[in-house]
Amino acid sequence: MNTPITPAHLTPDISNTAKQAFLEIVGADRYLDRPEETACYAYDAFLEESTPAAVVFPSSTQDVSEIMKVAAAHHIPVTGRGAGTSICGAPVPVLGGLVICFSKMDKILEINTRDRYAVVQPGVVNAELQKGLAPYGFFYPPDPGSIATSTIGGNIAQNAGGPRCLKYGVTMDYILGMEAVLSDGRIVRFGSKNVKDVTGYRMTSLFCGSEGTLGLITEAIVKVVPKPETTRTLMVTFSDLEDTAKSVSDIIGSGILPAAMELMDRFTLNAIEDSARLGLDRQAAGSLLIEIDGVAEACEKEMKRIADILTTNNAINIEEAATPEDQDRLWTARRSAYGVFAKLAPDIFTEDVTVPVSQVPEMVRRIKTIAAKYDVGIGVLAHAGDGNMHPLVTTDRSNTEEWERVEKAFDEIFAAAAELGGTLSGEHGIGLAKTKYMPLVMNQDSMDVMTAVKKAIDPAGILNPGKFV
Amino acid sequence: MSRQENDHTPGTKVLANCGKCGLCLSVCPVYQTLKEEQASPRARLQLIKAFEKDSLATSPLLKEIISKCLMCGSCAAACPSGIDHYGKFMEMRQKMVEALGDAPAIKTMVYLLAKEHRLRTGSKMAALGQKLTPDFLGDKYRVGNIPVSRFPSLNRRPFRDAQPGRILPEAGTTSASGKARGRIAYFTGCATNYMFEDTGRAVTGILTALGYEVIIPKAQTCCAIPMLFHGAAQKAEGNIQANITALTATDADRIIVDCTTCGAALKDEYPAFIKRADLTGGLEEAAANISKKTTDILSFLGEHDLSFHPDAGSDSRHLGRAVYHAPCHSRNSFSSHAGIQTLLKTLPNLDYIPTPGEADCCGGGGTFFYEHPETAAKIMDRKREQLRAVEPTLWLTDCPVCRINLAGNLKPDSHVNVCHPVVPIHNAI
Repeated sequence: MNTPITPAHLTPDISNTAKQAFLEIVGADRYLDRPEETACYAYDAFLEESTPAAVVFPSSTQDVSEIMKVAAAHHIPVTGRGAGTSICGAPVPVLGGLVICFSKMDKILEINTRDRYAVVQPGVVNAELQKGLAPYGFFYPPDPGSIATSTIGGNIAQNAGGPRCLKYGVTMDYILGMEAVLSDGRIVRFGSKNVKDVTGYRMTSLFCGSEGTLGLITEAIVKVVPKPETTRTLMVTFSDLEDTAKSVSDIIGSGILPAAMELMDRFTLNAIEDSARLGLDRQAAGSLLIEIDGVAEACEKEMKRIADILTTNNAINIEEAATPEDQDRLWTARRSAYGVFAKLAPDIFTEDVTVPVSQVPEMVRRIKTIAAKYDVGIGVLAHAGDGNMHPLVTTDRSNTEEWERVEKAFDEIFAAAAELGGTLSGEHGIGLAKTKYMPLVMNQDSMDVMTAVKKAIDPAGILNPGKFV
Repeated sequence: MSRQENDHTPGTKVLANCGKCGLCLSVCPVYQTLKEEQASPRARLQLIKAFEKDSLATSPLLKEIISKCLMCGSCAAACPSGIDHYGKFMEMRQKMVEALGDAPAIKTMVYLLAKEHRLRTGSKMAALGQKLTPDFLGDKYRVGNIPVSRFPSLNRRPFRDAQPGRILPEAGTTSASGKARGRIAYFTGCATNYMFEDTGRAVTGILTALGYEVIIPKAQTCCAIPMLFHGAAQKAEGNIQANITALTATDADRIIVDCTTCGAALKDEYPAFIKRADLTGGLEEAAANISKKTTDILSFLGEHDLSFHPDAGSDSRHLGRAVYHAPCHSRNSFSSHAGIQTLLKTLPNLDYIPTPGEADCCGGGGTFFYEHPETAAKIMDRKREQLRAVEPTLWLTDCPVCRINLAGNLKPDSHVNVCHPVVPIHNAI
């Protein structure tokens, strides 16, 4: 991948005048520009890296606004950052300039379960919000794999999903309102505390998944919901991966909506088992981790129907987690998948093409065929219930011949997803990873509209330049 | 596919496999407190990689960032990619110290710990110094984030000097033939030897009451973790060899530690060190043998059905409400947390109250509290929350540095006693 060339009007470096202005706003202990420090803000969990000229830690919306005024005046590129756990390179400052790190704006400002919302600063870690809500018997449904580390601001910028988004919906469905700072320092507020709100354009939704290209989110009003009465978790294994995939589309097709339905192939099961020894079946060709939740009686009914469908599809073993600890263990296994693959080779590369759920069996078949064609070991795991596939390859980019084959394989995977009526990314975002594939799912006129929106809101183009728009 | 097959750059063997997923940020006490990426394990690995690829040079700032780490191992325990954070950090610390030297006080510590006789002389001088320090100075001056006056006083005599090298089981605890239940080598660690004899007496008391013969090897010395963590591998080697020899000679069935950092050294770091340094002469086998036999005292007690004194629960012997602080090496090297909770619940002479912040770091971290007092103080501020709701009389912890740090940060008028859990256990049997 080629690093984009800095447009002539942007300055990747920070002049002394600009630095003094930033120091006046945030103070010396919240401004970093020594190479040992800036090197730590060059990356997220994606492969590409690029070091910023400086990093600032604002403590208020006002700070952010003042910072943006200075950046705009000096034409400095600005990239927002939460915890840096994105896997598409979204917070990687490809054109240098300034990183605004929101990790220290980490207060939960209000929890109101009567009206079912919470107000948070952008640096609040998703898991901390869950902890804050737990005593009230409430939760915030979006649950990305990075839940323990990633911030709500980052989750919004990436429109993060997660396993239980199958039933509950993604980040966008939980953002009632927000405050953001625009590229010239203006402070705007969109939405409200109301679930129903059709006052003009739904700008909050536009900002979800905007990857910091439109504005910097400085506060969010999120919808929270009561915890379900019952949660039941099943681990199912199959001797055939097609049966596994077909079970997914059959269950969804039957009208049942589980909270989560995770598919793992043999490659994935073994990688997890090598790392965590959870007693997963190494011989199984495919497995499903299924979670249903709701009222106990309804769960019981659904459970029976799910078991019938699984049996019809030749499941070899259906096991229910007996205790909450067992449930945790199974989910820990699933969440560790990304990390355990990292163990296998120097580089890890994953994508999140998404297809309509009825196409899941076909997509799995295609991924396997493509992997065989290019002789690359691709593991398949997926939030299968919503068609969100995570084909994952462990590779070594210093082996250029192998890396070329990996790139070709993924080119074909994207094309296959598009052909099946799918899309490029279900939840990871575009970032640096897949701008080049956008024409597969969007015509030029549609992309022009996005460019027009970007130009209207950030005319100088200083917010996260070098990304998809 | 093994790791080696994929590694092309020398020195990046382990690092190449960090997926930068960031899970370590959620368990790192320093990151959680400072909320700055450069304070995270992931960043340290990235900086080490940059240093090894020559894109970053040695600098005081790089050294400081690398050293701003408690070496608690929580990152390694949580890492799905199985990165050897300890190994990487120790190696990097060594390079930084070689290039830039270390703070005088740290150098002195490493110098003292490397030779037992230096430590003995040093501790006598320090005991004298403590007696001579006027109180007003003791409150004003701080060692790291701890006022001098709240530093523990030293044992009048080193614990190991005051004990016989071999202690027989208590009368009536052995089998009919008079045979002990087993032979235990007790690795006391420096803290028990020089500061916390109450811990040592409780350990030997409990073990002999359970019918064990206890050997306290006289030739044991500092476990070498402080040297390893401060880039003094050569000095560490002498201590490691001495301890392996001393412990092997006991021919004990089990090796017991009361400090889980010493335990982590015996169990994990000795074999790793020997492998890294490629030491020969049967050391590898001896270290593996020691590793297999090493257990921390609380996990060991968890293997037993303890019977308590009939009066142990009486009002006069009751010690009140107790909370527990789980040290990093107990959690990460011995996974002992759940077992200790169970054990504490059975004690008749105290009311153990589990608290949510039990496993949170206290910021002690070996010499971390000395090197990074401001960060340590911030970590400690969060830790103190644990006391607020419970108002305990006892704060139990099985790590001597945590003990110093917890006790050192109590308010001057606090009535909370900090000690090793073995002390109330010994009182109860």
